[in-house]
Amino acid sequence: MYEKILVPTDGSEVAEAAIDHALDIASTYGAELHTMYVIDTAAIDVSLGTEQVERLREGHFGEMPELQEEATKAMGVVTQQANEHDLDVSIVEQVTAGQPHRQIDRYTKDNDIDLVVMGSAGRTGVRRALLGSVAERTLRTTKTPVLVVDIRTEDE
Amino acid sequence: MIEPVTLQYETAVDIGFKAIPALTIVAMMVLFLGVGYFFRVAAVDDLWVAGRSIGAIENGMAIGANWMSAASYLGVAALIATAGYYGLGFVVGWTTGYFILLIFMAAQFRRFGKYTAPDFVGDRFYSNYARGIAAFVTLVIAFVYAIGQGSGMGLMAQYILGLSYEAGVILFMGVTIVYVALSGMLGATKNMALQYVILILAFLLGLYVVGWSQGWSTVMPYLEAGAQTELLIEEFHAQFAEPFAAESFYMWMALVVSLILGTCGLPHVLVRFYTVDNERTARWSTVWGLFFICLLYWGTATYAVFGGLLYEEPVSGDETAVTAGAEDTFMNMPGADGDALVALTVQLADMPEWLVGIVAAGAVAAALATTAGLFVSASSAAAHDIYTNLYKTEATQREQMAVGRTTILVIGILVTLIALNPPALIGELVAMSFAIAACVFFPVFFLGLWWENATQEGAIAGMLVGILVSFGAIANDTAIPMYTGVEGAFSTTLAAYVPGLGSALVGVPVVFAVIIVVSLVTESPPEHVKRLVRQCHSPKPMDKMDAAEDVAADGGTTTDD
Repeated sequence: MYEKILVPTDGSEVAEAAIDHALDIASTYGAELHTMYVIDTAAIDVSLGTEQVERLREGHFGEMPELQEEATKAMGVVTQQANEHDLDVSIVEQVTAGQPHRQIDRYTKDNDIDLVVMGSAGRTGVRRALLGSVAERTLRTTKTPVLVVDIRTEDE
Repeated sequence: MIEPVTLQYETAVDIGFKAIPALTIVAMMVLFLGVGYFFRVAAVDDLWVAGRSIGAIENGMAIGANWMSAASYLGVAALIATAGYYGLGFVVGWTTGYFILLIFMAAQFRRFGKYTAPDFVGDRFYSNYARGIAAFVTLVIAFVYAIGQGSGMGLMAQYILGLSYEAGVILFMGVTIVYVALSGMLGATKNMALQYVILILAFLLGLYVVGWSQGWSTVMPYLEAGAQTELLIEEFHAQFAEPFAAESFYMWMALVVSLILGTCGLPHVLVRFYTVDNERTARWSTVWGLFFICLLYWGTATYAVFGGLLYEEPVSGDETAVTAGAEDTFMNMPGADGDALVALTVQLADMPEWLVGIVAAGAVAAALATTAGLFVSASSAAAHDIYTNLYKTEATQREQMAVGRTTILVIGILVTLIALNPPALIGELVAMSFAIAACVFFPVFFLGLWWENATQEGAIAGMLVGILVSFGAIANDTAIPMYTGVEGAFSTTLAAYVPGLGSALVGVPVVFAVIIVVSLVTESPPEHVKRLVRQCHSPKPMDKMDAAEDVAADGGTTTDD
């Protein structure tokens, strides 16, 4: 049923909570596991500055080593966990930039992904107003099935 | 001192809601968002393919829009009209700095190729304390600079929307915060170029139309205004053109030096050089930027002359402080009139409402473009330089986004509150942030790029002394009098030598000396830092993908290898 599974990550605990689930499903179904790091342009705008968004858009990602490192590290966790659990899953890595939910949707369409597995922080109140929820936006955008792993249930 | 008549006189600006100017503003905002949205949708997401690069002309326009704030658009004409020759110092100071940028810094900064100004300080001086101080100062500069913009927005809102000054500040600052929240994913440089085109057209339109309608000028008002200047001097106020009448020669020099060196130390200007394709584009961007900036600056003096004449004898029949008998000369016009002079000139020349509206809208575009840039430089100082680099290196993108957005909100609210009752004229407020930039940043940038033996201890000591001098000078002659109600400076002797607007004339040499002396007595910088500095001056043109650190990290091609 599932031949290609996507697990988007930003290197946070929230995202990593979903990796276990994704790996387990992938190994059960013998599916290929895609992991993806989206450089969030809205985050770059307020953290590195608007000019850096432009720089990314011009294709100068190659001269931004700190960002590359962060992306590689975040995606590396997937392979690391697969090795720890001794799972034989083939893993594909992908870095892209834009709005996370749109990029996830685009990637699922372009690569015939059958299932998206992702974490959610279950934010409420001010923090939610400030940041919103990528998981929620993804659910609304994509037509692919999405498995949302809420980090709060993981804690219990 | 205050005659009863002054109590009745408030402002010559025709306050009231005007449908067409209001629509102009709305249309302008929609256009910015629309352009941004279009370019966002059209953006190619593939990071690995080099996309379209920004050329020198477009980048020059972006520099111009980022640079020309309400202070340039409204403030400089006000300062020339009210302070005459002294006010010209603002024109000289705010353009000349680009030569120093061009010769000594633009290409070298491009080669360094980091993200933010505090990044440069932190990496070059291999110190997180230095980075922290730089980030803090970046926040302060953005804050002081933005107060002037808020003040300009409030004045224009009075004319366009008929709101009170306070309501205008709150409304337009709110709009700016929302715009910044939306702008990151939008076509930033495209929008900057567009903002430049709108503001320069609006500015020149007003100038040409007033000159033409009064029979004062035809195609080159800049050069043709000589007769009017003479008239203004002879008929109304000889002091207008008399050198050093309003302020002494020393004050003039102090101001000009501060503005020139401040230009080279402004974080939100420098970041534009990090992102261009190569150092050639960095250099040409500076040249084009200066050209685009001059188009406006040259016109400010002409506006001051036309505005002065019309203020004395309004064609429109509006009542000004002079015709109302509240003041004897245009040079004493109240601050609110002065800061609105560009739009007021058009109004007093009896031009139609929609035209005055366009000129006012241009001022709002200028204030908006600059404020957006300032808010982003403040948020990146907080989210990237302080939060991520100093406090939590593992911070994810979303945490940084939360910190950045919170910073924008907080600084936006603070700026709005202070702008409700601004402590000085728009141009003066902005000049203060330049004095800070000149004293704190210019020496570390300059020595950081040009002297490989400048050490972290030197930089930290230098920046702290710079903070002491520039903040102290502002506290002495502006902040303390403003908030304690005392007339004049706390120490008049200090204010005479180290004025808040011009503290760099004393401050910069002192800071240079501190950095050099401290650097000489402390342990010299590590080899990789020295190599980085040398790489910024390599005669070999660097490949466009190379930033200095990559080259240095690759083993480098420096002489000691």
